[in-house]
Order: sequence, then C-alpha cells, then structure tokens
Amino acid sequence: MNQVSSRTPRFVRMGALIGVLFLALPIVGLLKRVAWSTLWTQLTDVATRDALRISLYASVCATLLALVLGLPLAWCLARMQFAGRRFVRALVLLPMVLPPVVGGVALLGAYGKTRGLLGGVLDSLFGVQLTYSLSGVIIAETFVALPFLVLALEGGLRSIDTKYEEAAAVMGAKDLTRFMRVTLPLLKPSLVAGLMLAWARALGEFGATITFAGNIQSRTQTAPLAVYTMLESNPEGAYALSFLLVAICVGVLVGLRDRWIGGASQ
Amino acid sequence: MISLHGTVSVGNFLRRFSLEVGNETVGVFGANGIGKTSLLRTVAGLCPLGEGELHVNGVVVDAPAKHQFVQPELRNIGMVFQDHSLFPFMTALDNAAFPLVMRGMKRSTARKMANEMMEQFDVVHVAEQLAPTLSGGQSQRVAIVRALVGAPQAVLLDEPLSAIDEESREGVRNLIREHLDRLKVSAVVVSHDRADLDHLCTRIENYTR
Repeated sequence: MNQVSSRTPRFVRMGALIGVLFLALPIVGLLKRVAWSTLWTQLTDVATRDALRISLYASVCATLLALVLGLPLAWCLARMQFAGRRFVRALVLLPMVLPPVVGGVALLGAYGKTRGLLGGVLDSLFGVQLTYSLSGVIIAETFVALPFLVLALEGGLRSIDTKYEEAAAVMGAKDLTRFMRVTLPLLKPSLVAGLMLAWARALGEFGATITFAGNIQSRTQTAPLAVYTMLESNPEGAYALSFLLVAICVGVLVGLRDRWIGGASQ
Repeated sequence: MISLHGTVSVGNFLRRFSLEVGNETVGVFGANGIGKTSLLRTVAGLCPLGEGELHVNGVVVDAPAKHQFVQPELRNIGMVFQDHSLFPFMTALDNAAFPLVMRGMKRSTARKMANEMMEQFDVVHVAEQLAPTLSGGQSQRVAIVRALVGAPQAVLLDEPLSAIDEESREGVRNLIREHLDRLKVSAVVVSHDRADLDHLCTRIENYTR
C-alpha cells in the first residue's frame, strides 16, 4: 500500500467527497419531500397510472426500434469501409448532443402532418399521423436513444476478436447463423449495456417528446411530462411519481450491477 | 487433394506458396513468421490469394484471375487453429459438436458423436466445462476433436501438439494419425517441431526464407 499511485492526496479525497455529496443531496431532498402516507393514493391516480403505462410501453418499444435500426448501423460503422463513413458517424451522434427540443422540432419538420417532409405522405397514403400520438412518443424517444445503443454496439463489435467468427465460418456457419450463434453471444455484454442506456434515455425523454408528441394526458403524457405538469398543480403527486422513477432506475442498476455494466467496460 | 500455387500478402510482404497434397499428410516445417499459418488460412479461405490458383479435391476454390472464390463455410475443412479459437461462451462438448450441428445434424446426435471422440482424446471429463476453464492441453484436444469430428474434405492442423505435455504426446499423435487414415483426405500439418511432423506426416516440406 506504499506505492506512489495508491497514496491519495487529501485534497483529492475532499474533492471526491464533494462530488458524492453533490450527487446524493438531490436524491435525499427528493426523498424528504415524498409524502409517504399518501404515496399509494398518489401513484394509483388515473393520470399517474396512465403516464407510467405510456412511459414503460413507449420506452420499451423505442428501445426495440432502436435495436432494429441501430444494430445494422453499428455493424457497418464498426466493420465496413465506405465513403461518407465519418459523415454517417457524426449523424448518428448528433441526437446525443442536440438539445432534445431541437430534436423534436426537427422531427416535426420530417413527420409533421401538414409541413413535414414525410408527414403528408404518411397521412394521405396510410392515414398515419405521428404527431400528438403514442407512435410519436415512440419516434421521439427512439430518436434520442438510438445513439447510445449504436455507440455501445459499435464499441462491442470492434472489441470482438474476429478469430471466433473465422473459426465458425471454416466449420460451415453461414452469415446469419454465424451472427446468431457466435457474434451475438460475444456481443452480449455490450448489447445489454447498450439496451440499458438506450432504455434509460428513452424513459427520461422530455424535450423531444413534448415538442413532437405533445403533452396530452392519458395519450402522450409520459411520466417525466406528468411530473413536470403536476409540479404546479399537485406537487405531492409529482414527488411520488419522481420517487417511483428513481426507484425503477435504482432497481435496474442494482439488478444489472456487476453482471453487465462492469463486465462490458473491462 | 490440395493444389495451391500462388501468392498471398502476409503482413507487408508477398509470400509465394507452392504445395501439392494427395491423399496424404504433408508436414510444413520452418521457422516462425514465414507464413506457415497464412498457408493454412489460404487453403481454408480466410486469406484470399492475390494471384494464382487453389484447387481442393479437383474443384477450383480460389482463382482471382477467373474471379472464383468459394467462401470458407462452403469448403468443408477441418482445422485446428494455432490458438485453438474455442468459443468462450460454450462448453467443451458444444464446441466439439459445433461443426456437426452446422452441417445439419441434430444437436443431441452431434453431442453424442462428439462425446465419443472426446472420450478417445481423454477430455470427456471436462465436456460440460466452459471453454475458458480448460487447461491449454485440454483445450487443444477439444480443438483437435472439433477439426476431425465431421467428415471434412481436407484437414489443416496448425501446431496441433504445442500445448500437449510430453508424456501424452505420442498417444495424441497416434490418435490423430488414426483419424486421418480413417478420413482418407489431404491433411497439412504446420509445426516447428520436427519430431511431431516425422511421426504424423507421410512427407515433409521445408519452408525457408
């Protein structure tokens, strides 16, 4: 324990402590404001229940949609050399750095019913309207969650030693079989970590959702939107729902603890 | 029958290969880093030829001038890789049964067949262990089973005895020979151990430069 690298200066320890407090204080503050006696009544209120249902449903759908779109993208970015690769990569990362509200405005420009690039076509051909609908919530959440999944999968694909896929090919495994039986199991830690991050991002989505899908109770109002709306009218309900969201996130973190999150980065 | 004449780029330089293998076991002997592994990878289809031609059992499988290339998964070759390349997320038995399953055999039948051969190679007691928990020697034996268990059209062995300890070397060598005799196919063995090659092969090619 006398190595130079394991001696931690006092000011570093102080800094770390302040960092921990900075992160912990808001959680403590939140817990302090929760009215425990009426918690159950608040959470079973119609608006809260609907918001939770919409949030869970939309975030799971968005994560699956992100997987369908993100896996091929990650594959091409990790393993193909093509013209415009850097451009595609920047495009994939854009929703991550873009203010979510701007993302929502951009989605309106693409899928808005009257002025959107594709919105009019979708409406007249299929009668589909994405704005102010549950599908719109899913689209908005997918838009912001996709980069997280692509990044995790691209990193995972790069770190897989191709010798296993080569061995599988020599043993007669064709493309799809090779992917399902060799690549996918090797990719599992990155896949689980990526799905987790994408899902958490989708669950917490606010800006793009409210801009693109609106804030219609029992239709497009997700839990974060409900918290924001209730903060004025029914703070007790807002704190109850916030507490539940914290609990869900902590539950997921604990559940996946060392198994995947640590394993993926090692 | 393997007939290979052509060049392959190995790292930054070109290597010219010229090899004829009948229904026999040919040893390729030579120092490290002269492309012995690349030779096997070329036959397997993992390292395409730059120019020249490769025939396996009378079929052109790689001929850049004619734009012909048969993918590795269609060549039906049994191969022991230098680092064994067992799938880390599978048990030893599932690793050994993999080529059989890939050729359409039912999983239970494939496992039974692989299990019998693992018994011969004295690794049946680790059959249900995950590949990364095997010792070097056990993992190499499983890799040998995996290469010989199907009905490959050709067999390629890259340093197949490097991790087997001295006492059991002769036994494993004899087992490999028996199976190659049974399969009656062309086999190429790469090694830097002259004694292993002398025991395994009908003919030895010296690779220099």
